[in-house]
Amino acid sequence: MPQKEMPSGALMLLIMRVLRSGPLHGYAVAQRIHILSAEVLRVEEGALYPTLQKILLEGWATSEWGISETNRKVRFYRLTPAGEEHLDAALSDYDRVHQAIQAVLRTA
Amino acid sequence: MKRLLRRLHYLLNRRRMEQELAGELEFHREMTARDGGQFGNALRLREQSRDAWGWTWIDRLAQDLRYGARVLMKSPGFALAAIAMLAIGIGVNVAAFGFFDLMVLRPLNIRDPQTLMRFHRRSPDAYAWALPVPEMMFFREHTRTLSAVLGKNITKVSIDGEEKQPEAHFVTANFFSELGATAHLGRLLDPTRDEAAGADPVVVLAHGFWQRHFGSDPLVVGQTIRLNGKPATIIGVASAEFSGLNLIEPALWTPLTQQPYFAAGSHLLSDLSVDSSGVQMWGRLSPGVSPAVAETELGILAAELRKQHPKEIWEKESLPSDPGGFAKSLRVGNRRGTGAEDRDEAGPVMAMVGSLVLLVLVVACANLGSLLLARGVAREREMSIRAAVGAGRGRLVRQLFTESLLLALLGSLAGLALGSVVMRGMMTLTGVGPWMDPTPDWRVIAFAAAVGFLAAIVFGLAPALQIAKRRHRANMAREFLVGAQVAASCVLLIVAGLLGRALTHVISANPGFEYQQVVSLDPGLAKHGYGAPKARAYLDSLQARVRALPGVESVSTALVPPLGNVSIGAGMTVDGRQINMQLNHVDPEFFSTMRIPLLRGRNLTAADARSAIVSESLARLTWPGQDPLGKLLSLGDGYTVVGVAGNARTVKLEDSDSVEAYLPIEPADAPSLHLLVKTSGAPNDLARAAMAAARDIAPDTVPEVQLLKTGFRRKLQSAEYTAAVVAVFGAVAHLLACLGIVGVVAYAVSQRTKEIGIRMALGARPANVLSLILRQFSRPMVAGMLIGVGGAAALSQLLRGQLYGISNFDPTSYLIAIGVFVFTVAGAALLPARRATGIDPLRALRYE
Repeated sequence: MPQKEMPSGALMLLIMRVLRSGPLHGYAVAQRIHILSAEVLRVEEGALYPTLQKILLEGWATSEWGISETNRKVRFYRLTPAGEEHLDAALSDYDRVHQAIQAVLRTA
Repeated sequence: MKRLLRRLHYLLNRRRMEQELAGELEFHREMTARDGGQFGNALRLREQSRDAWGWTWIDRLAQDLRYGARVLMKSPGFALAAIAMLAIGIGVNVAAFGFFDLMVLRPLNIRDPQTLMRFHRRSPDAYAWALPVPEMMFFREHTRTLSAVLGKNITKVSIDGEEKQPEAHFVTANFFSELGATAHLGRLLDPTRDEAAGADPVVVLAHGFWQRHFGSDPLVVGQTIRLNGKPATIIGVASAEFSGLNLIEPALWTPLTQQPYFAAGSHLLSDLSVDSSGVQMWGRLSPGVSPAVAETELGILAAELRKQHPKEIWEKESLPSDPGGFAKSLRVGNRRGTGAEDRDEAGPVMAMVGSLVLLVLVVACANLGSLLLARGVAREREMSIRAAVGAGRGRLVRQLFTESLLLALLGSLAGLALGSVVMRGMMTLTGVGPWMDPTPDWRVIAFAAAVGFLAAIVFGLAPALQIAKRRHRANMAREFLVGAQVAASCVLLIVAGLLGRALTHVISANPGFEYQQVVSLDPGLAKHGYGAPKARAYLDSLQARVRALPGVESVSTALVPPLGNVSIGAGMTVDGRQINMQLNHVDPEFFSTMRIPLLRGRNLTAADARSAIVSESLARLTWPGQDPLGKLLSLGDGYTVVGVAGNARTVKLEDSDSVEAYLPIEPADAPSLHLLVKTSGAPNDLARAAMAAARDIAPDTVPEVQLLKTGFRRKLQSAEYTAAVVAVFGAVAHLLACLGIVGVVAYAVSQRTKEIGIRMALGARPANVLSLILRQFSRPMVAGMLIGVGGAAALSQLLRGQLYGISNFDPTSYLIAIGVFVFTVAGAALLPARRATGIDPLRALRYE
């Protein structure tokens, strides 16, 4: 399946949602999204890391150094309470818009 | 907010952050490789991620700055020339603004300068900048809107060991405490002690006078000093920074209440008449009170006082105020007159100076602009390469403009230094007190930066755009720049020419009155409380004594001495027009003493009371085309014109619009009269002899003598300064413009070498080649010159009052300036253009 470019807002939402279940490093974030989307969505590193930096800058996540499963030092990202809050708000926004779109698509 | 802090954190720890990012990406790459995927360009990825921090522009700016600095360092000749040019252009602007800042914007070094107001008197038909002391005292006693009232009277006193009579400032005792002054030695005036009845006479020395007269004696406090022969105790020395609400530092301060003690017989404290020298008055606004409220209150108080003194306090008297905490408010000392107040000359002069310095900057910028344009062509290869490796047009413009900004920054710094040197020199020349500190404050620094930025836009943006577009046939821009230089320097030359002409005119031409051989003597009778009869008796005997001196040709008395600092303005309305004139009260001998010709009618006689003589210019202004004799001069109770005198601007020598009227002396004028003596011998000898005679008749008075020659020279001096400064501006701007033209033409020649070679090979003669080269510059030059002449005509309008009778359209000045201009500019253009005629066709064709 051809990979579509994802709008950065959606990518940010996905990343933060994936981080909610626990701290992950960048590669794992990409993997998790890839697997959870049944291998439909592939996150390009060219979009992943700038978005992660943006999330850090907004204060929605913090980063700490840990050891990867391959025994390497790597940076793990953890959602902050502010990030949780933002994610909730963003998800409910997304749901509303999504439902609205669905409603239009179904009835029109 | 937090976000900003985090961004700053990224900026400050950039190196570590980048390393972390690199490590993380490396890990990602390894994992991708293990899982059999592909990974993009790591460097590009890092840059993209970094973009999220929002500091990329700093990196680019640093890059551009580094690159710009390298480019400038590689061509130090160009860099130096550019910085020097900018330094001159910005420097003169900084100096002019610095002066403006010092006079108008920067508060004086006193406590709470914002709430200090200076008050003066005005009524519908009179104005005065000084208040009689009793009026000030009345305000001080009754005001509720002012928390303090300050008064200052300036009287000259004689002090042993001082050749000239220095100024003593008689002030209210709250003067120092209210202005937040500190003592350098001893103590300052104290309202409770020094103003009380029967207090001992005390003085506070000014810092400069203490240094000069007492050799900075640390033990001066407690010593006795004699003013006009009267002893007083020195209680302290004020600090050097204390302005004393005066531009020039006085010798000393002493309580106002002591003025009659030092000036024998003075009625200053009780004299309510407008003739009294009075005091300059300041008020400290109570907290929360606006100036308008205080003015209203003082107006009501004045009306109250008028009930007791209906003659001295004017009908409908108001007390307008000006911010008193700025040097500007100190310019006017003691001006008074009837009618509306004369226009303030400072405005036009400032506008004039501002325009002139701006023109210098325009020339410098235009010059630098064409230099950059020419350089841009040389850098075309560099630009092509940069564009080829992927620099966008915006990036190129930004880089070139950054270079210009760098130049502007360096130019601003150099200009700031140059400007403060000029300011310092000016301050020393004019002799203002040490509190007028010409060191640039933040306003001047900000101004220099702003001018530099503006200059960068003017000289840098157009060439940057041209170069980035890589269209080197930038003829429009070049023509425009040449035109701007020509126009601006043409204006400067013409204005300098006008001022120079005015100066030579005033030196060589007859000013309409005699000044070489006349001495004026101010007996200072009013100061010493002489009543009119006593003063008249004194004057009669003094006149008799002086007339008997050897060499004396004639003696006269007048209220306003020519070429002095006193003037009485008067205004009247004729057919709806307001006419302002300079008024003098004179005796019949005045015209023969001053050699002012009587053109029509008769002289004043001793019996005249309501007759007047008007100057020809006043007659023409007031009754154009009519016979002025017998007309009514509607001043006060009205005077009948009996004679017309030649124009003699004895008070406002520099202002050709100034007109004069002479009225007979009234008996009450006697204590304020000046003696004018014309001699056939040396005026210096006469001055000494007259002084001795005056002292002999009344030993307790302190008379003052002045040679009119000296006054004339003093008036000229300011004109000389102005002319010199403008001439320097003009010369510098013109030199810059000429150099710029040399450069532009030389560039044009080098650009068209091949074309010229072909033309010459085909038989073009040197004259053809010259005209080919010069034709492209003749249009902007002619246009620039026309604009320049128009600009000069408009700008010189502001100068009208300073030209000593030369018209601001004076054709001689214009022709001389244009002549000099055409000659030098043509020379500047021909010099490099001639090289074109020497081109060898064969070599030119092989060129490149």
